Amino acid sequence: MQKYVIADAMEHEMKLVQLGGTVTQINGKLCYVQFDIGGIEIEYVYNINNKGKFFLERIKPYPLPVKVFDKESGLIDIIDIDLEQFRVAALSHNMPKFIKMGQLFHNTAKRYEDLFLYYNVPESTIDALLLNLENANKIIDECKATANRVYFKKEPDNL
Amino acid sequence: MTVQVVLAGSIFIAIYGLIISEKVNRAAAAVFGGALMVLLGVVSESNVIDFIDFGTIGLLIGMMVIVNIMKKTGIFEYMAIRAAQKAKAEPWMIMVLFSIITALASALLDNVTTILLIAPVTFVITETLKINPYPYIIVEVMMANIGGTATLIGDPPNIMIGSANGLGFVDFITNLGPVVAVIIVVTLLIVKFTVGKKLHVTQENKQKIMAMDNTHTIKDRKLLIKSVLILVITVLGFIFHSALHLESATVALSGAAILLFISGLDPEDIFMEIEWTTIFFFISLFVLVGGLQEAGIINMFAEVILNATHGNVFWTVMSLLWASALLSAFLDNIPFVATMIPLIQSMGQISGMDTTPLWWALALGACLGGNGTMIGASANVVACGMLERKNHKVNFFEYMKLAFPLMIVSIVISTIYLGLFYV
Repeated sequence: MQKYVIADAMEHEMKLVQLGGTVTQINGKLCYVQFDIGGIEIEYVYNINNKGKFFLERIKPYPLPVKVFDKESGLIDIIDIDLEQFRVAALSHNMPKFIKMGQLFHNTAKRYEDLFLYYNVPESTIDALLLNLENANKIIDECKATANRVYFKKEPDNL
Repeated sequence: MTVQVVLAGSIFIAIYGLIISEKVNRAAAAVFGGALMVLLGVVSESNVIDFIDFGTIGLLIGMMVIVNIMKKTGIFEYMAIRAAQKAKAEPWMIMVLFSIITALASALLDNVTTILLIAPVTFVITETLKINPYPYIIVEVMMANIGGTATLIGDPPNIMIGSANGLGFVDFITNLGPVVAVIIVVTLLIVKFTVGKKLHVTQENKQKIMAMDNTHTIKDRKLLIKSVLILVITVLGFIFHSALHLESATVALSGAAILLFISGLDPEDIFMEIEWTTIFFFISLFVLVGGLQEAGIINMFAEVILNATHGNVFWTVMSLLWASALLSAFLDNIPFVATMIPLIQSMGQISGMDTTPLWWALALGACLGGNGTMIGASANVVACGMLERKNHKVNFFEYMKLAFPLMIVSIVISTIYLGLFYV
């Protein structure tokens, strides 16, 4: 199987060079991890290589690029914290809505990209979408200021 | 019949059956068989190393290292684009040029490696031309098997034959090169009148090939110069290995070691791409056949064959050529050749006959016979696997309809050649 993968990589590289790209192939291991937390499937994918770049992505319950690491030791700590947060969150009766929203954000981003790349979108539409997103962020900030914090082991990365 | 004969024969037949059935990975089956030969005492622990032909193993590893470094330069992609543009994107001319590149590359590299290098670039060119890659890949794999027949290092059976008998690069190219050149020309002529006339592409797609940019295909010019230099020195080493008093494996491994040292690449990345499964398959086969030798089965068979042919060189050569070709069309030629080598050596020792023509008959039969069916040679299996990954399902009989007659033609040419010049 390995020989087919190497041959496929060679073919892809030839095509990508013709498209004007510069390709660097890195040998490594792609790791696919599955957890079941109270009936919620949580899945991650990450790669390990000796070139010093590790990409961790959560793919379930909704896709989210988590972090790019310089050291592989940080990977497991982040997954551990992520799982712990999901375990706590799973106790909330709002958990199904939280997952639905995560999936909706992801799908909305993809739909917006399609809209912009496939259609000539009027500036007013972009402004309207921006306003709605800013409102959503404002709601997040207001909630953060008033809601009780439930997780303290680590500071939020994006809030 | 001794217990050792029964054990050795049973293990060998069972493992051979497993390899042919393809129900188990061939390397896993061979390693298991080799271990059984030692565990059950057919081959003693102290003798097991003596049966492994390190000449073959060293030559294979050395050439794999050189190729793995060389392919990182982008040379094969460059040559493919250049050839397609030289052919003015004419599909038949592309097939001819790619066939010649494949045959020449295969003379210096083993056939599987050649296909793994030429097939990806062929897919890019045929996709750009919007033409079916199937005939290109099939003709290339045939050319890889034919081209590999011409040299010591071109095909694993030749590596094994050369290493076991002290036959060098020059011996192979002078004895097999001429007939291989004739077979290439005849095969291409037949392909032109059968497949070539069906190849058509639009002017628009031809333009896409002509517009391909080859300026950035070579990724590392310094590494390319180093690789080509070492490859040339290594081939010169093969040519003059007798005068240098060096084994071919020493030449290949030295070339690999120097290139690895001067390339500046991470050796781990290079060693990772060596086909270790193939290497362990070979090591285990040597132990399996060693079991037959130790038990005296090889000598028994040698006597049976000599009695059947009455020691007549002509009939022995012709029987060996045709039997090797027909068996290699359906069976893996590597275990077959691994078994035949001690058998022929034993025939020479028992009868005192000159075995030289037998080696050329075995090489021609085993290497060219592999072209007969899609399972006849490892390169065919790999090529069909690559086509299937591109959603081109390869049918056993459809493959055979084109390949088997071409294989028979090549064996007829070999029969005439051996008949005229060797017996």
